[in-house]
Amino acid sequence: MPDRVLLTIGTKKGLFVAESPTARRRFALRGPFGPGVAVYSTLTDTRRGVRIYASSCNAYFGMKVLISTDRGKSFKETKSAPAFPKDDGRALINIWSLVPGDDAKDLWCGVEPASLFRSADGGDSWEMVPGISNHEHARKWQPGNGGLCMHTIVRDGDRVHLGISTGGHYLSEDGGKTFTASNKGIGAGFVPDPYPEFGQCVHKIARHKDAPARLYIQNHGGWPDRPGIGVLRSDDHGKSWRSIAKGLPSDFGFPILVHPDDPDTVYVMPLEGMTRTCPGGAPAVWRSENGGDSWTRLAKGLPKKESWFTVQRDAMDIDECKVPALYFGTTTGQLWMGREGGEKWECLFDALPPIHNVKVAVV
Amino acid sequence: MSVTIDVPALLRAESGGASALSVSAPTVRAALEQLERSHPPLYRSICDETGAVRRHVGVFVNTAHVRDLDGLDTRLQPGDVITILPAVSGG
Repeated sequence: MPDRVLLTIGTKKGLFVAESPTARRRFALRGPFGPGVAVYSTLTDTRRGVRIYASSCNAYFGMKVLISTDRGKSFKETKSAPAFPKDDGRALINIWSLVPGDDAKDLWCGVEPASLFRSADGGDSWEMVPGISNHEHARKWQPGNGGLCMHTIVRDGDRVHLGISTGGHYLSEDGGKTFTASNKGIGAGFVPDPYPEFGQCVHKIARHKDAPARLYIQNHGGWPDRPGIGVLRSDDHGKSWRSIAKGLPSDFGFPILVHPDDPDTVYVMPLEGMTRTCPGGAPAVWRSENGGDSWTRLAKGLPKKESWFTVQRDAMDIDECKVPALYFGTTTGQLWMGREGGEKWECLFDALPPIHNVKVAVV
Repeated sequence: MSVTIDVPALLRAESGGASALSVSAPTVRAALEQLERSHPPLYRSICDETGAVRRHVGVFVNTAHVRDLDGLDTRLQPGDVITILPAVSGG
């Protein structure tokens, strides 16, 4: 019976792990692990015991993948990190996403420059997935402000959705062998064609496991001349997309989440498009309970003013307790928890390094 | 010809704890290629997949940075010391 909540917190200066009973009254903090090194991706993998993975992106000496088999009390490096073939010409800059694959040791990993890798042995060896990494579009993608990153991998049997900034949404229907740009309805504000075939700056993709045809995207919005392109929904497995941004204070943001028990309940964290900070200095998570038709502001307990942080694309998550709580980390180093699905917020930690990644698991 | 590679403390986990390694190579590039064969994790910490020295790593021959010499094609003399150091960078 799962009885502990594990938070993995990737920061500019290493990885932290916070643990609490499921009542979530107090979290004990451990770390930093891989001190001083930026962590953009974490995964708590429960397929064979509890294994925590984290990327460790050392600006000096290259990329590592860290693993813990004792619930985040200690970490060691896996035997290798993803690496491009020697004759490829590209070199790994960052690791942006780690997700479980099919069998107990299968891992998928999205990296910068945007490419996909898989490991069949729990992260000790890696192979590049050519269907997307060598896609005919791959050398035409351009880096956004965060770099040319493959930040989202959403798996649904043979369907695989990838989010690339800036590349857009790519869909495979053959288990990842081949991919097609699938961006009908996803806009771009930074090129003359408002709806290009590819090249969109998709920020994050979310899906509920029981509603695989329904997907949500937080896209790069905030364009005065092209309003409403920032928050989108698909009901046909990502073949086409439509705006659900009406009612939000801004259609710019980075993370997007779906409630674990309800595919109609979706969360975003709107930010001002130009500054990428909280609108009016007053942070709030916004929730829709009808698939994006209308939105409600959730800010009880959050600062009412003078808060100018950013919440990055992987820095918000929701747990799977009976009454789920949301969590987000800020670029100013605070970690917030919103009880009752974001109705009541409290700051768990207020002086961590700038936070890139927050993931939660109940183990 | 035999030269010495000084390994910084931060990378000694990749060199089996050795603070210095002896290699026989006519150029810096050849010395690094030897490292790739003998100590792959150490090499990977110094060079990326394309063979380029990582952006924030400095490679010196005696007291001179290789960028002020002939880069990785800098020729070595017996007894030379190649020093690997993290650059002054960060935030």
